[in-house]
Amino acid sequence: MQLSRYLLLRLGKTTVAAWAIISCIFLLSRLTSGDALIRSVLDEAFTQPTITATERAQTEALLRHRFGLDMPLFYVSFSTPAGATSPTWMWHGTTNQYHRWLNSLLHGNLGHSYREDTAVTELLRRAMQYTLPLTMLAALLGVALTFELCIWLEYHPAWRSAMLSILYAVQAMPLFVIALVLLLLLANPDVLAWFPAYGLGSLGAMSPWEGGLGQYLYHMVLPLISLILVSVPGLVIQLSASMQLELHAGYVATARAKGATPRAVVRHHIFRNALLPVLPLLAELLPNLVAGSVVVEMIFALPGMGRLLAEAASTQDYPVLLGAVLLVSLARLFSQLLADVLYQWVDPRIRLSA
Amino acid sequence: MKWKLRRISLLALGWLLLLLLGAAGASTTTPPPDLLNTTVAPFHPDHWLGTDTVGRDVWASLLAGARSTLLISLPAALLANLVGGLLGALAGFFGNTRLRITYGWFGATVISVLAAGVLLGPLWNSPYMLLVGAIGLGAVTGWLLSRSNWGRRLLPIPLDDVIQALVALLDSVPLLVLVLTVAAIQQPSLLGLIVLLICTCWTTAARLLRAATLRTVPLPFIMAAEAAGLPPLRIVWKHIWPVVWPVLLARMPLSIALIIGLETTLSFLGVGLPPEVASWGRLLASSRLAPTAWWLIVCPGMAIFLTIWSLQALTKAKTFNVTTEIDVTK
Repeated sequence: MQLSRYLLLRLGKTTVAAWAIISCIFLLSRLTSGDALIRSVLDEAFTQPTITATERAQTEALLRHRFGLDMPLFYVSFSTPAGATSPTWMWHGTTNQYHRWLNSLLHGNLGHSYREDTAVTELLRRAMQYTLPLTMLAALLGVALTFELCIWLEYHPAWRSAMLSILYAVQAMPLFVIALVLLLLLANPDVLAWFPAYGLGSLGAMSPWEGGLGQYLYHMVLPLISLILVSVPGLVIQLSASMQLELHAGYVATARAKGATPRAVVRHHIFRNALLPVLPLLAELLPNLVAGSVVVEMIFALPGMGRLLAEAASTQDYPVLLGAVLLVSLARLFSQLLADVLYQWVDPRIRLSA
Repeated sequence: MKWKLRRISLLALGWLLLLLLGAAGASTTTPPPDLLNTTVAPFHPDHWLGTDTVGRDVWASLLAGARSTLLISLPAALLANLVGGLLGALAGFFGNTRLRITYGWFGATVISVLAAGVLLGPLWNSPYMLLVGAIGLGAVTGWLLSRSNWGRRLLPIPLDDVIQALVALLDSVPLLVLVLTVAAIQQPSLLGLIVLLICTCWTTAARLLRAATLRTVPLPFIMAAEAAGLPPLRIVWKHIWPVVWPVLLARMPLSIALIIGLETTLSFLGVGLPPEVASWGRLLASSRLAPTAWWLIVCPGMAIFLTIWSLQALTKAKTFNVTTEIDVTK
């Protein structure tokens, strides 16, 4: 199959998958807690008992209109109409919450946050400004470290089993445990207070793109180390195993026989061939780091994407939650696509079948 | 190598056994917090692992956390693997063409579902009549249609495509983000969290067993079974499942470890379990209120680390055993 046609087909499929999962989450969120949200806002607003029932009802209607909850949820509904005894199917046409939400989504409008009076796109843009450099840096450093470590292990086979044991042990720690242990060891006045425990320092309001780079990097050290520690072991274990398999291939003997140094054989021959089975893992790295940033940004109090998602989840700010999930899933889908293209590019013998 | 492997897996088994004993022996009632001794360091005469910021005993919290961790992760991992494995094996065996149904019975199913939908309103108060009516209508239409030539033609059901699409759907969002989102929306109970974990974690098992089944189907003994005219489900159950399920068994500890990691992360972020259920993640989260209380990080952190490490070590040992076994017998 031609690459361009394959890509189009794959793109169509991934778009459908993203649409389906986001729709599911949207319907689920509106189905379970639209009323609970209104009730909690009302209870918060009307603490004094002097409010009459009609005033309360009026405010509720206004609130429903403001949050867009005054329409039916979906195109069809199965409910009891006023005055009837048994429920029936009802067709609502296009004036429903789902249609309106999807329509504005296609126009690039993700709605307004329930908690702050800000557009979700603006919130996401502000958060990405912090998360993008963090995850990109972590991915780059992680990949570089993985490659160098694997090549180094190939030169020093005596260290292999000890190193792998350590890596397996690190792999057994969830991200939040690693981050907390790092905090305890390196940002603790009782042990070593080398790094700041949280935040971005006095320049907190400033984005990393505008100056204060040194300060920014200084505050990023611990989050970066924890993201790298959680992503590197799996990659090294896989890549190193794959390099061990390549070691017995015929071309290695040929390369040695023609007089290539062991260093050159590992770097130029074994490494490139061993990379192939690890490609999907590498492509998964960035989306996994974005998911990991949920934990890291919560712990280190960084104003990024992951913290936005986690806070939206715990305070049930659904427009923000949906926007964040959409962005994360798009990142994942595109990295899967990228993995396919890379496969084809690295090894043209691989046939793609969508 | 083998001896070292055995020593490590003995260690791992020992820790898991301790964990089981601790979970079984944990008291079901939470002891009242000792408000006089909040955030005391370990080796205190009353609380030899210290207390947290509101005076709860760390040792008691650890035991209770062990119980809820096991209560969630064991059934969730078991069922997720079983469901995913079965779906994967079925998808691998039936593919897109092997499962076929006649047009007649297909039409009858569609008609009876439609009829049930239409009659759902009028017959809302008598569900049995609805059930009998829909099934009866379907049976009559199916019988009538299957007498025609068109009704006897076979329609392939793309089971493989359907299951693959489901897997792709769940895989389009990273697992942690998906579980976090749905848990935040649903605010599940203990049982709800288990169901949620099963619904989201079955994909890996399905993918693994689909691949294993695809490798098994071309083997001669499956062809022989088909030639002998055995029904397809019996082939899957008696001939394919025994060959492919060791893959699942080897993966089992790893998926328990994965689910433990997910569950503790969720409760650390404060969305997973209802607040009255004790959990290691919640204990770790309480350390955020007292940053210098090292025992609040070290004790539950060590418990999580040792558990996941033991499960991973067991996986390594078991894969070793399974592969050698397969080499010998097959």
